[in-house]
Amino acid sequence: MKQAYATVLIATVLLLGACGTAPEAPASQVTGAQAAVQAEGGHNDTDVMYLQMMLAHHEQGLEMVRLAEKKASRSEIRTLAQAVDATQSDEAEMMTGWLKQWSAPTTVDHAPNAHADHGGLPATGPREIAALRKAKGAAFEAAFLNLFVAHQHNAVEMAHLETEQGSNAEAKAFAERVRASRADQIKQMLRLMNS
Amino acid sequence: MRRSIAYPLVALGALGSTLVVASPALAHGYVSAPPSRQALCASGAVADCGQIQFEPQSVEGPKGLTSCDGGVAGFSVLSDESRDWPAKAVGTTVTFTWVMTARHRTSNWEYFVGAKKVATVDGGNAQPDAMVTHSIDLSAFPGRQKVLAVWNIGDTANAFYSCIDLNVGGRDSGATTPPTAPTKPPVTTAPTAAPTSTTATRAPAVPIADNGDEWAPGVAYRTGDEVTYEGRTYRCRQGHSSIRSWEPSIYTLALWLPL
Repeated sequence: MKQAYATVLIATVLLLGACGTAPEAPASQVTGAQAAVQAEGGHNDTDVMYLQMMLAHHEQGLEMVRLAEKKASRSEIRTLAQAVDATQSDEAEMMTGWLKQWSAPTTVDHAPNAHADHGGLPATGPREIAALRKAKGAAFEAAFLNLFVAHQHNAVEMAHLETEQGSNAEAKAFAERVRASRADQIKQMLRLMNS
Repeated sequence: MRRSIAYPLVALGALGSTLVVASPALAHGYVSAPPSRQALCASGAVADCGQIQFEPQSVEGPKGLTSCDGGVAGFSVLSDESRDWPAKAVGTTVTFTWVMTARHRTSNWEYFVGAKKVATVDGGNAQPDAMVTHSIDLSAFPGRQKVLAVWNIGDTANAFYSCIDLNVGGRDSGATTPPTAPTKPPVTTAPTAAPTSTTATRAPAVPIADNGDEWAPGVAYRTGDEVTYEGRTYRCRQGHSSIRSWEPSIYTLALWLPL
C-alpha cells in the first residue's frame, strides 16, 4: 500500500499545534476530526519544494473558493467551493506538518512564479484574484470557473514534478491524489461552465 | 468558517534561479466555452480521447497551422472528424472563453471558419487579462461549423490551438450532417436529428445518495448522508459531488467522519 511509511493517527485539530501560522482554534469547526499523517522515511529537495509550492498554491486556491462560497449563484458551485475549502484546508495543514517535521521552511516567496522564466505567469496571481473579487453575478461564476480550472491544471502540472522527481512515499502519494482529485474537479467545472 | 492560514505574499520577479529547473510542465491554454474538442475530452463528455483529456491546455504548435491538434501526434484525436464531435447550439454572435494556465504575453487571437479568417483580436503583446473572452460575429456561417481558435504567443514562436464545433443559430447535436439547405434561414437548417446522449450540455443530473449505500464517485452527497466503504460506515460532514480520491479515508476527514 502506498502509505506504507505513514504513521496514521486520528486526533483532534490541535494535534498539529506546532503550526504557528494558525494560532486560533476554529471555534465553529464542530466535529474536529483531523488526520495527522506523518511523512516518515527519507525526502529530497523536490519533496520540500513541491510542498512549499503547493502550500502557496493552496492559499491562492482557498482565497478563490472562499469568494465562490459567498458569491456564486448556483448551489452546485457553492457546494464544490465548500468541499474544496474543507479538503484543501486539511491538505494545507498536513503539508505544513510535514515541512515542519522535516525542519524545512513552510513559505516560499517565488515558486508559484517560477514559470515566469519561460515568459509566462501561472494561471492565478494577485491580479486574477483581485479581478475575481470585483466580478459579480454571472460574470463572477464564469470568472471563478475559468480561473479555478486553470489553477487546478497548475496543481496537476506540479504533481507531475513530485511523482517523477520526489522521493518521499507519502508526499508522492499525496501528489497522486492531487492529480486525480483536481482532474475530476476540472471535469465538474467544465460541465458547469457549459450547462 | 475554517481557519485561515497566513498567506505567503508572492514576490513577483524575485525568482530564485535554483528553482527554475524544476518548474511545472509547460502547458498554457484552450477554449473552455463553448467547449473546444479538448474541453469535451477533459470534461468526459467525449470518451477515449487519450492523453489530451489530462492536459487540454497543451495543444501547442508553431504559429500558422490550421489543424485542431497543433501538429502534436499524440493529440491527433482532435483532428479526427469521424469522432462525431457534439456541436454546441449558439446564437449568431458567440462569446469564446479561454482557460489560461500560463499567462504569456500575447501577440493576438485569431478565429477561422474553414480557411476563412473570421476575426483577429489584438493582444497588445501584453499579459492577458484575468478573464479572456471574445465576442465573435458568426452570422455569416449558419448551421454546423468547426471554428479554429488560435492563441498566438508574443514571446515564443508558438501558438495554442482549439477547435470548437458549433451549430450557429441552431440546436445541440452530435450529428455530423452538414446543413442541407444553406440558402434557408439558419433556424430551419438545424439538423433534425434528436440531440444524442453524447451532447455535452445534456449530461444527466448527478444522482442523489441513498443512506447506507456503498460510496461511489459521481454522487451528490449531502451533509449527514451515511455511506459504507471498505466495510466501515462514514457520515458526510460537508456536502459534495464525489470524485476520485475523495472516498472516505484518513485523507478526507474533512468530508467523511468514520462512525
